[in-house]
Amino acid sequence: MTEKTWQKGLKWLLGVWLTGVTAAALLWAPPAAGFQGDSFRIVFFHVPQAWVAVLAFCVNLVASLRYLRGRRPLDDARATAAARLGLLFAILATITGSIFAKIEWGMFWNWDPRETSIVILLLIYAAYFALRQAVADEERRGALAAAYAIFAFVTMPFLIFVVPRVYASLHPNLVEAARGTVRFKMDPHMRMVLLAALVGFSGLFTWLYTLEVRVARLVAARRAQEEA
Amino acid sequence: MQRSSLLAESLAILGKEVASELRRRVALNAIGLFAVTTLVAVAYQIGPYGLAEQDRPFLLSALLWIILFFAATAGLARVFVKEEDAHTAKALRLAARPLAVLYGKLLFNLVLLLALEVIIVPLYCALMGFAVRSVAGLILVMAAGGAAFAVTSTFVAAIIARASGSNALFAILALPLLLPLLVAVIAGTRAAAGSMELAAVLPALRAIVSLGGVTMVTAVFLFPVVWRD
Amino acid sequence: MSESSSMLWVAVVMVVIWGGIFAYCLGLDRRLRHMEDQQ
Repeated sequence: MTEKTWQKGLKWLLGVWLTGVTAAALLWAPPAAGFQGDSFRIVFFHVPQAWVAVLAFCVNLVASLRYLRGRRPLDDARATAAARLGLLFAILATITGSIFAKIEWGMFWNWDPRETSIVILLLIYAAYFALRQAVADEERRGALAAAYAIFAFVTMPFLIFVVPRVYASLHPNLVEAARGTVRFKMDPHMRMVLLAALVGFSGLFTWLYTLEVRVARLVAARRAQEEA
Repeated sequence: MQRSSLLAESLAILGKEVASELRRRVALNAIGLFAVTTLVAVAYQIGPYGLAEQDRPFLLSALLWIILFFAATAGLARVFVKEEDAHTAKALRLAARPLAVLYGKLLFNLVLLLALEVIIVPLYCALMGFAVRSVAGLILVMAAGGAAFAVTSTFVAAIIARASGSNALFAILALPLLLPLLVAVIAGTRAAAGSMELAAVLPALRAIVSLGGVTMVTAVFLFPVVWRD
Repeated sequence: MSESSSMLWVAVVMVVIWGGIFAYCLGLDRRLRHMEDQQ
């Protein structure tokens, strides 16, 4: 099946869009008050990556639920693809967050509540794959992984909302510094670039996800052919 | 045949767990030994005078929960893994409703955890010189925290028992899920240590109870999937 | 860290991340279409 023009067009658009966002983030967005130099610019990548990691988790949730309902291997493949991407973007978000911390505060790690939440998400993804590896039977693997993912998902709101607030009572001085990152006064230009980055990364995730699912489909089809 | 109620079945399973545990005491030994050893190590190294005054409330709360946490992970997975090891799981599947199995084993883990807390917490406070101002608050946090802990641990134990059953896998899967709870109970313990008013532990307690409630409901829905497969 | 070098670091990281992922996507896409045409 050769590629349709609109698909090609979308890819070009995505490429141009994100290149533009990167350029804008590096060159156009005005510097934020109170930050060392241009370190904050990485936030334009960091926030969307964290967002995509969460988005991937949601996609994984839907696929897991569907797998439990119909036990279709394709749904399990979808869940795995989403989890793999979620892991990738959680790692990226942790790295960019850590780079920011290093430039801004001089330490690679700071344990501010948002960072901690991303790390916990990262651990959940890693645990998901550790579980998958430990089960030999395909259907059981899919079912157990789906059950774990769904269970983990319900603890996520607590990760994102409760942990930061409770954490604040434990480390008030740390939170003062962290507040600066998450709620800095957003210049309208900055807001625009951030929004554009969010859209761009979401598009990137969608493309990556569809690619991975297509691969899974092909592999499954090929295996079915060999067995026939 | 008259089917017994869910409550009766659950309590029967709880009774069976307690009886078999008292007979061979594997989990009790593992948990108890781990807890006492770490407690003694910490108390010896740090003791009542080893920490700066302003750090004490937070660090002492954190250390206590770390001890409880790791001791618990040494023994909580056993409740499901031993069924698979002894090949009694199939019989249990036939003999009882899935939910009864969940509730029974959950109650057992809860009893184990509460027993652990009852023994370790006073010992810890004595050895470390941890002066807790609101004992009622501490008891609430310990009870609620223990319950929420038991829910997540039991569900993860059920999952890994159907996988490789190793304790390492249990720790890998349970840790990320328990971290938010850990943060909340440490905060609650710190609040109880710092203030005589019961109201001080309320924010943390709210987090703990809602976490426990949400995970409980989810576990009830998902357990049949894990168990039956 | 001096201003110019922090900018450089940030720029390098961002370009590497973006470029790397995009290149991977393009490559995977090309390979997929090749495999699908073979089917």
